[in-house]
Amino acid sequence: MYRGRLERDLKRWTAAGLIDAPTAGRLLQEYDSRESAFSLGRALMMIAALLLSAALLLLIAANWEAIPRLARLVGIVGLIWGAYLAGGALILRGAERLAAAVLVVGTLAFGGAIALVGQMYHLSGDTFQAMLVWFAGAVVAAALFRSGAVTAIAGFLAFAVSGVDWMQSFDADTTILFWLMPLMAVIVILLVRYTGADRVRHLAYLLLVAWLAFLYGEHETREMAMALTALGGIVYLAVAVPQSPLSAIARSAGEAPAFYSYLVLLLGLLALHDEFGGMADRLFLGVVTLVSAIAGIALSGRDNGAVRYLGYATFAVETLYLASETIGSIIGTSGFFLVAGLVVAMIAWAVIALERRFSRNATGAEA
Amino acid sequence: MTTFRSFRLPPLVAAILVAALQTGVIGYMVESRASILRSGAAIRLKTLPVDPRDLLRGDYVTLSYPVSTIPKAIVTGEPPAAGTRPRLAVRLRPDAAGLWTATQASFGDLPAEEGSVVVHSLPFDYYAGPDGGVPDTLFVEYGIERYYVPEGEGRALESARNAEELEVEARVGRNGTAQIARLILDGKPVYDEPLY
Repeated sequence: MYRGRLERDLKRWTAAGLIDAPTAGRLLQEYDSRESAFSLGRALMMIAALLLSAALLLLIAANWEAIPRLARLVGIVGLIWGAYLAGGALILRGAERLAAAVLVVGTLAFGGAIALVGQMYHLSGDTFQAMLVWFAGAVVAAALFRSGAVTAIAGFLAFAVSGVDWMQSFDADTTILFWLMPLMAVIVILLVRYTGADRVRHLAYLLLVAWLAFLYGEHETREMAMALTALGGIVYLAVAVPQSPLSAIARSAGEAPAFYSYLVLLLGLLALHDEFGGMADRLFLGVVTLVSAIAGIALSGRDNGAVRYLGYATFAVETLYLASETIGSIIGTSGFFLVAGLVVAMIAWAVIALERRFSRNATGAEA
Repeated sequence: MTTFRSFRLPPLVAAILVAALQTGVIGYMVESRASILRSGAAIRLKTLPVDPRDLLRGDYVTLSYPVSTIPKAIVTGEPPAAGTRPRLAVRLRPDAAGLWTATQASFGDLPAEEGSVVVHSLPFDYYAGPDGGVPDTLFVEYGIERYYVPEGEGRALESARNAEELEVEARVGRNGTAQIARLILDGKPVYDEPLY
């Protein structure tokens, strides 16, 4: 974890006389006081909340006949009220972390209540509809409580909603996911902006990437793969080129916009590799992919580690792929491994040189 | 942005609003069923054996009905495009034994008629037949295909169902939604469903 590394570095700097011990202590203290810092206690509390909710859902699933139906209904509705009221009271007392865990229990209990009512009253209705109602309930709870933890639940439920509909209508040309997936992603992003649950942002972006993959899955055509590639490329350039008006907004969202648009670009290129079989086409695609890899490293390499490593990996895989497609067939297996080894060594050398330059630039910029 | 960032509903107000809303959703689910049972049109359906015979999963019995199989001959009106998920409106009429059977079906709406009840199926995957029109038979569900029973009691119902001695009394709301009101075993009602 970052905290361990920070502590080690601070000790080293103190020993080297770069900073004094009280400063080191204060720096560490500042890190620990941050809201986003990892806390074992909070993580365990969340796990406890999830386990309790799971126990509750399983209890209901086991169709507990010992209690009359109406009592079970009152019980679970009471649990919902109890969890939310306790959450509200805990927020008032400043116990935000415990409140988050209790609110998670409340949101999961709502899902349990939907399942319970379906089971008790023999409503063999639509699973998709039930999941969607649950998602909506979680969104409302996250917004009204301004809860980051419930936002995370909503993010996962968005995936569950999509997954259920996808499986249910696997064979049919449904249109609902075409607009529902991006809509849920936008809702989750708005919640993230409002609640400050920055890490949940990734769930929304992943949902959008999954949506694009779904679109390609529904229409596996060359045009679709090209559109995907173009979209990823254009959005990536818009957020990564410093001159672009969008880059300032994107930067406020951290490394994610550049990374995910770059990911879409690479997924599009992967789909194109699948669509085009001819030698000349593949060579051309290979060049485009290599250029994309270099462009990613050059544009975002310095301050976006995720894009940089994705760029390295793409460059290495594409080079090996091209080598196996072209010279690999001529020189035989052992010769191919020889060439592959040389290629990887060259890439490694380039990566080391680049990494050194990035770190020099970074210190130069700070000085 | 700063006012937006700093705004937060009083937590207890949020608690009451969220809990009330979610209770409302649950209440709506329960009440929409209860109102169908209270005032919906009563129909009696024969059940069919389900293959494979042992379909007791978890704690519910899977029910299948003759009216779940709709022959092409009774379908009226325009068929939908292939690959969509339409609903089917089915007109039921009682036969001499008091069991209700399907007499007419449509992908659009069916007008109310004296002595008949129109029930709506759940959306289902529709495929055109070999000639491009409606296939010879359509298989639909009405949302009354599961009956949850106390643990261990499902077997008796299952064997009765497989011996074709099980009937279901359902009620159908004005919007065509069906709900199970009671199970009838050998002519005697069992599992009478209370409203709540």
